[in-house]
Amino acid sequence: MPSEETKERITKAVEIGRTILHYGWIPLIIYVGFTRSNPQPSLIKLVSPLA
Amino acid sequence: MATADSTGKDAIFDSYAPSAPLTTKPSYWIPLSPFNDMYDRFSQWRADLGLPHPGTVENLQKEVKSTHLSNFIFDGARADLTKSLSMNPLFQVTHSFALGSQTAPSSYNFGAIFANQNIFLQGGVDHDGNVNARFNQGWSAQNVTKFQAQFSNQPGHNMIQIEHDYTGSDFSLNGKALNPSPTDLTGIYVGSYLQSFTKNIALGLETVFQRPSPDLADTTTSFLAKYTADDKNWIATAQVQPAGIVQATYWQKLSEKLEVAADLQLLAMPTRRDAVTTLGAKYDLRLASFKAQVDSTGKVSALLEQRFTPAFAFLIAGEIDHFKNSAKVGVGVMIESSTLTPEEMGLPPQPYGI
Repeated sequence: MPSEETKERITKAVEIGRTILHYGWIPLIIYVGFTRSNPQPSLIKLVSPLA
Repeated sequence: MATADSTGKDAIFDSYAPSAPLTTKPSYWIPLSPFNDMYDRFSQWRADLGLPHPGTVENLQKEVKSTHLSNFIFDGARADLTKSLSMNPLFQVTHSFALGSQTAPSSYNFGAIFANQNIFLQGGVDHDGNVNARFNQGWSAQNVTKFQAQFSNQPGHNMIQIEHDYTGSDFSLNGKALNPSPTDLTGIYVGSYLQSFTKNIALGLETVFQRPSPDLADTTTSFLAKYTADDKNWIATAQVQPAGIVQATYWQKLSEKLEVAADLQLLAMPTRRDAVTTLGAKYDLRLASFKAQVDSTGKVSALLEQRFTPAFAFLIAGEIDHFKNSAKVGVGVMIESSTLTPEEMGLPPQPYGI
């Protein structure tokens, strides 16, 4: 059984990881898709629903 | 020392069978070889039975769910604008708008999908900043790991699920962890196994282990059965929980265009007895799809999806609850656009003047 201090540290690490995924997940997909796409699209076409 | 030994062995084996593939094992495996032989013989015998793959436990009722419209019905107005930016690897973004629903507030949702042969990435964010995420990684043809999460600014709305699928030749195995906590091991853990026993029959079980707090644990097991007809034109499934919950389904493909499905959910617990039956049909026409459904709670519903061009679809949905005297109507459009030329999408070039 881990000590209270370790537990607290793990909880904090999980919380930070969660926050990173919360704000970083969509940008990550956009980045991966934008760089790996063939052919590479233009940015305005990517975000605008009308273009 | 050991490497020199093994290379020496390889050389000997090679001189005996120069064209055979490398099947040498380190010498310390030899005491286990009777067990290896037995295992090989057992797997050979199992392969000789030629049992089909039973499908996964998660997809046990897939055909019924895709015929019924419970998962597709909506009310109010809805628009989905999908834009494909690349076909291989797949990359597309979706803007979804929903308004005027009786049950849910108006919402805007942005989604993105990226997929290649091994990886599937999906993300969505709504106007409140709630994010849902999916990530699938295929390690080989048999092994897939799936990650699924929901992140919200409100506490208590976060969810994380980690899942691994193993697909054998005649069975499927799945393990799942929902909201696992590394510090006190709370969470929900699900394990399931489905095995083909004959050409038609597959049996399986699913065990759910719930541990909401460190001093509280609960295990429930449900049993599954699936019967697939020889020509795969009809499928019957049953799922039984010993506590008194039974779900039975039947699906039949009557023709290329028509599928029908029935679903019975039975609750026979000492405190509560309840049953719901749902009957549904789905017509798949060339440019339209029509679903109709009636259930024993007095609901009649229908959904029409009409495709005017391959890129533009119009949806109309309706539901009448005869016992509660209420009704819901929904209209929607789905527009797909692409920044790619037809050649880039892999389609033959369209001749001009048509």
